[in-house]
Amino acid sequence: MRNECRNFLAVALLAALCFIGGCASTPNGDPGDPYEATNRKIYNFNDSIDRNVLQPVARGYVDVAPKPVRSGVTNFFDNVGSINVIMNDILQGKPGQFLSDSGRFVVNSTIGLGGLFDPAKEMGLEAHDEDLGQTFGVWGAGEGAYLNIPLGGPSSFRDAPGFLSVMLLNPLTYLNPVINIPLNVVNAINLRANLLEATNIRDQAALDPYTFVREAYRQQREFKIYDGNPPGDEFDDYLEGEGDSAILKIY
Amino acid sequence: MKSKLGYWLSAIGLFMFCHSSMAQDAVSGIAVVEKLHTSLINVMRESDSLGYAGRVDALQPTLESTFDFHTIARIVTGKYWKSIESSQSERFIEVFKALSVATYASNFSGYAGESFETISAETKRGNLLVKSAIVKADGDRISLDYVLRKNDEVWQIVNVIASGVSDLSLKRADYTAVIKSEGFDSLIGKLTDKVANYASSGH
Repeated sequence: MRNECRNFLAVALLAALCFIGGCASTPNGDPGDPYEATNRKIYNFNDSIDRNVLQPVARGYVDVAPKPVRSGVTNFFDNVGSINVIMNDILQGKPGQFLSDSGRFVVNSTIGLGGLFDPAKEMGLEAHDEDLGQTFGVWGAGEGAYLNIPLGGPSSFRDAPGFLSVMLLNPLTYLNPVINIPLNVVNAINLRANLLEATNIRDQAALDPYTFVREAYRQQREFKIYDGNPPGDEFDDYLEGEGDSAILKIY
Repeated sequence: MKSKLGYWLSAIGLFMFCHSSMAQDAVSGIAVVEKLHTSLINVMRESDSLGYAGRVDALQPTLESTFDFHTIARIVTGKYWKSIESSQSERFIEVFKALSVATYASNFSGYAGESFETISAETKRGNLLVKSAIVKADGDRISLDYVLRKNDEVWQIVNVIASGVSDLSLKRADYTAVIKSEGFDSLIGKLTDKVANYASSGH
C-alpha cells in the first residue's frame, strides 16, 4: 500500500515536472539546457550581485568571525534544516539514515545547545545530505531542464521544488519575521562564506564560468543522488575513442 | 587456536591477493597515486621556502610521469580533437600540461595538517579506479578518486574526481564551449592566460 502510494506520488510529480519542463529542445547547444539564453542572463545577474554585495560581505564575515564561530553558525542552520533531510530519508526509504538523522536532531538540539555544536558526530551519528530533488532522482526522475534561479543559483526542474520544502520544513520560517529575516541574512552570508573556496576554484579554472558551473552542478547532484556511487554507464556520443566514456564516468 | 587459524587464513588470502594480475594492477595504480600525493604533501610542507616557482619545478616531473596528458588532451577537446592539426595539438598538450602544473602549484600551497588516505583500487572496464581522500586536520574528508589507464605497461592518471565532480567532464564542457564559439586558437590563448594568472598571483 505504501509502495503504491509512493509510486503514485512519483508518477504525479513526474507528470507535473514533464508538464512544466515541456518537451522543449534546442537544435544547437546543450540538450539539457534549452533555456540557456535566459539562464545566462540570470547567471550574470546573480554573479554581479554576488561580486558586488554577497562576496565582499562574506569575506568580511570570514575576517571577523573566527572558525569556531562560523562552525557554530553552520551547525545551527544545518540542524534546523535537518527536518527536511529526515523527511527525504523517509521518502527515499532509507531507515538507517532516518534513525541517524533523527538521533542527530534530538542530540544536537539538546546537548548541542540548540544545534550550535555537533556532539552527535562524536557519537558516531554521521550527517546525511538529502533533499527533495535527490528524492525525485532516487524515484527515477531525470534532472529536467537546467535552470538558474534569480538569487538562488543553479538548479533544475527536478531540483527547484526543493526550495519550497527547504523553506516549509524549516522551523525558523514560522518565527516572527523580525527574528526570521535577520537569521536568514546570517544564514545566507555564512553559506556564501562556506562556498568561497569553491568559487575561487571556479574563478581560477573556468574559461566559461556559466558552462563550468552547470557541469559541476549536474555532476555533484548525480553524486549526491547516488550517495557517492553514481553508476555512470551512459554512453557519450561526443567521445569516439574506445573506453573514453568509461574514463569520464567510471563508477 | 582461533587466532592461529585466522593468521593462516589471512596469510593464504594475502598470497592469493598478491598473485593475481588484477591485484598487481591495483598495487601499481595505487603506487602512482601515492607518488603524486607524496609529492603534493612535500610541496605543501615546504611551500614557503619553495615559493610558487619552486613548487612548479618540484611538481612538474611528478605530474609528467603520473598523468597521461595525451589521452586527457584528446578527451577534453571532445569531437574537435580530430580536426585539429598535429602542430596545434602538440601546442595544446604543452599548454595544458603547464596549466595542470600551475593549478597544483597554486592550490597546494601551505600546510595545515592535511593528509592523503588511499581507500581502495579496482579495475573497471579496463581502467583502474583508485579511491582516496584528503583528510583535513579537523577530520573533514574530501573524496578524491583517480581513473588510471595503462600505457605500455605503465598506469597513468587520466581523470581526477573530487567530491563526485569529474575534472575531465568539467574541462571538456568548458573547453568545447570555447572551441565551438571562438575556435581552437582562442582556447589555447585563454589557457596560456590562465597559466600566466597563476604565476602572477602565485604566492
